[in-house]
Amino acid sequence: MTPEIELRGVTKRYKTGLFKKPVQALRGVDLAVRKGEVFGLIGPNGSGKSTTIRAILGLIRPDSGNVYFRGDQLSATCIQQEVGYLPENPYLYDHLTLSELLKFCARTSGLARDTASVRSGELLARLSLDHATRRPLRTFSKGMLQRAAICFALLHDPSLVVFDEPMSGLDPVGRKMVFDLVSELKDRGRTIFFCSHILSDVERLCDRIGLLSHGRLIDTFDTGALTASRQGQVHLKVDRLGAEQRDSLAPILEGVTETDDGLLLTVFAANLAALAVRLNQLGISIQGSREDRLTLEELFMRSIQGGEK
Amino acid sequence: MSRSAALGLLALLLIGYVFVQRNAWEDRALTRRSSLPGYVLPSGVSRVLAMGNKGILADFLFLKTMTFFGERFQTGQIPSEADWSYLMHSLDTVTDLDPYFLDPYVFCEGVLVWWAGKIDEANRLLEKGIAKRTWEWRLPFYAGFNSFYFQNDNAQGSAYVIAAAKIPGSPDFLKTLAARLAYYGKKTKTAVLFLQQMLMETNNPQLRKTLGKRLAALEAASSIEEARERYLKDFGHYPEHLNDLVSSDYLEKLPLDPYGGRWEVLTNGRVFSTSKFSEQPSTKNPSGVQPVPQP
Amino acid sequence: MKKILALANITFKEGLRSRAVYGIGLFSFFILGLNITVAGFFMRDVGKVTVDMNLSALSIAGLLLVLFVGLNLISKDIDRKTIQLVLTKPISRYEYIFGKYVGIEMFVFVALFLLFVISCLTVGGLSVVYEGYFQGFVWSNFIVAAFFVYVKISVLAAIAVFFGVIATSSFVTLIFSFCAYIVGETLDEVVFYLKSSASSSEVVISEGVKKVIAVTSYIAPNFSVFDFKTEAAYGLALQPSRVGNSLAYGLIYILILLILSTFIFQRREFN
Repeated sequence: MTPEIELRGVTKRYKTGLFKKPVQALRGVDLAVRKGEVFGLIGPNGSGKSTTIRAILGLIRPDSGNVYFRGDQLSATCIQQEVGYLPENPYLYDHLTLSELLKFCARTSGLARDTASVRSGELLARLSLDHATRRPLRTFSKGMLQRAAICFALLHDPSLVVFDEPMSGLDPVGRKMVFDLVSELKDRGRTIFFCSHILSDVERLCDRIGLLSHGRLIDTFDTGALTASRQGQVHLKVDRLGAEQRDSLAPILEGVTETDDGLLLTVFAANLAALAVRLNQLGISIQGSREDRLTLEELFMRSIQGGEK
Repeated sequence: MSRSAALGLLALLLIGYVFVQRNAWEDRALTRRSSLPGYVLPSGVSRVLAMGNKGILADFLFLKTMTFFGERFQTGQIPSEADWSYLMHSLDTVTDLDPYFLDPYVFCEGVLVWWAGKIDEANRLLEKGIAKRTWEWRLPFYAGFNSFYFQNDNAQGSAYVIAAAKIPGSPDFLKTLAARLAYYGKKTKTAVLFLQQMLMETNNPQLRKTLGKRLAALEAASSIEEARERYLKDFGHYPEHLNDLVSSDYLEKLPLDPYGGRWEVLTNGRVFSTSKFSEQPSTKNPSGVQPVPQP
Repeated sequence: MKKILALANITFKEGLRSRAVYGIGLFSFFILGLNITVAGFFMRDVGKVTVDMNLSALSIAGLLLVLFVGLNLISKDIDRKTIQLVLTKPISRYEYIFGKYVGIEMFVFVALFLLFVISCLTVGGLSVVYEGYFQGFVWSNFIVAAFFVYVKISVLAAIAVFFGVIATSSFVTLIFSFCAYIVGETLDEVVFYLKSSASSSEVVISEGVKKVIAVTSYIAPNFSVFDFKTEAAYGLALQPSRVGNSLAYGLIYILILLILSTFIFQRREFN
């Protein structure tokens, strides 16, 4: 099946100033996003996430490599009709009212007037902006602006949604709203591409996660596989362990970690019962236990460091 | 700084401002009085700098010139040669920026001619206006007067006045004036007619004063001339002394010369004054102020 | 076409609601007040002075409107990346350029028209007070002259759009546009002065300078073509051929600039 979006060997270099060295923003990115999936792009600041998004949207042209939309090479016209874009820190027109903005959006998207009014009514209610339609945008708070920009992006019900840091600047209520919205879009089969710093959200929403660092796509994780791989490790906390005792436990232990006030014994869940029995036999009391979930954050840090080496 | 200290300081400064401001304006008045009129940019440069606003630049340059000379008149200062040079350059630039603009030509006639006595310059400027402002009878009228009265060029004077009379909308007196010029030649009456018209044109109070005075002098001279003519008709010869006109009832009384001079009769019969119809006593002839030229 | 009008509509509203408009409005009132005061200083040609001031005020107001509001209507879009939002909608680059330009034009037209109405009132009022000094004045000439001020400002707006699309910052666009205005207003005088003084060999001009001036006179706009102030001030006859040619010159220049802007804009990237 042809992917919705595909990047093949995309490189991009920016000139930052007259006498400064150019910055290599993307170094040969290969990426594919399938139809109906939620793809999250994560990476440290300056890794090229926004550049990737702009390449997808046709706002920049790659120096080498190609961007494909539904199998065809990207041209501005073909993607515009199908995509809804939310940039990071959107600036909208200060002096327009929200309704004027949405009217403009409808007209440029070619929506019929009644469809547009129905859609905007729904979206505004959904994002709790229906009370603010007559207010000029410059009076909006950051959260409201973000939501207004989401309306702007989704008004024509695009099949592809591109979000750049959709949660940034939102309070918990707003974030929940966006989260629910993205889940809803996902349920309706829309393809969603977004990048975010908030790894927990990425983890919960995305089907696949791409990790970008220094302009290179280091890794792609399947979140399903991620959760699966994480299961199975448990840590037990004990006071101390003698060298002999450690040796005797070695076959079932995955690892021993020293902490400030004791030791952490790491073991697979399958071997937990056996370990508990052995510790009991040795007369070592278990202070506490913790189930290990390898968080996305740790994976992120490890991969970054690995990539840097 | 506490609030009350700040307020106190402000009060002091305001008081100081009252004095300083007054001094500054007084200084400016003094400077303007003693200042040289300044440099006039050549027309070519002015035209470029105007950036499409030539008309308005002409207006303001002219206003500046008028104000400068107005101040000179008000304070009783006699303009120097440098001042006249400024006037000529300024009017030149103004009429280059906007050759259709009437006011500079009127000013030119009033000041450059009557005060500075620069007749050639004046007529040169007027020619610019005559070429462009073709519907304006006043311009050839002024030029005609200048030629007749100051340059003693009757032929040229007549030619100008006839040209003025031809312009549609020109007043009727021009036609008769042209005829008069041909017939009477250099009678003071002609000059009176010219000046009366000139006075009707001027709103500038200072200029009106100057011209009015001159007109009064010429009217006085003219009345004496006419009385002499009547005497001649009756007696066959001109009176020995001007007082004879009064004693013989041709004049109620001998009119006064507003310039304070004594009347004298010239060889061609025209009545003139020892004041030479100029603002200064006749003994002095300060630079730049030319008296009315001798016939 | 609909999309051009949609963008024009919001550009127009943005322009009209910006604070700068009030400043320019105040400035214009000030100039017109000055007009009424100063008119009485002049001896005879009050009509001409009034017309001069009004048309110059319109011209300066138009310049300010384009440089401080119109220009921002494009530059701010680019600076604040709103343009990225707009361009992801199904709107082509040429629709964007024309939409913005039409919006700026609509805004400038409304603002200048208001000023024109006020200046007509001033002229009308003064012509009653100073009756007799407005003999040369003809309303139709005044209206034509004011219209061509608008045409001139429209050309300037096209220049601002063009530079806005090329330049990287709004300040650079402002400087270039202002320089273009200066060149436009002075070009006529400079070229003709050089021609006359060269032929009368008053001033020696190098061949290089002559070539530069010749090239400039082809590329740069000659705003004096739109200058009908003298005809308005003195009621001189307006030749229809000159009026027609000036209008055609303006329209063609604007269209060329907009199309060039579109070409450049197609290639432009947004970081």
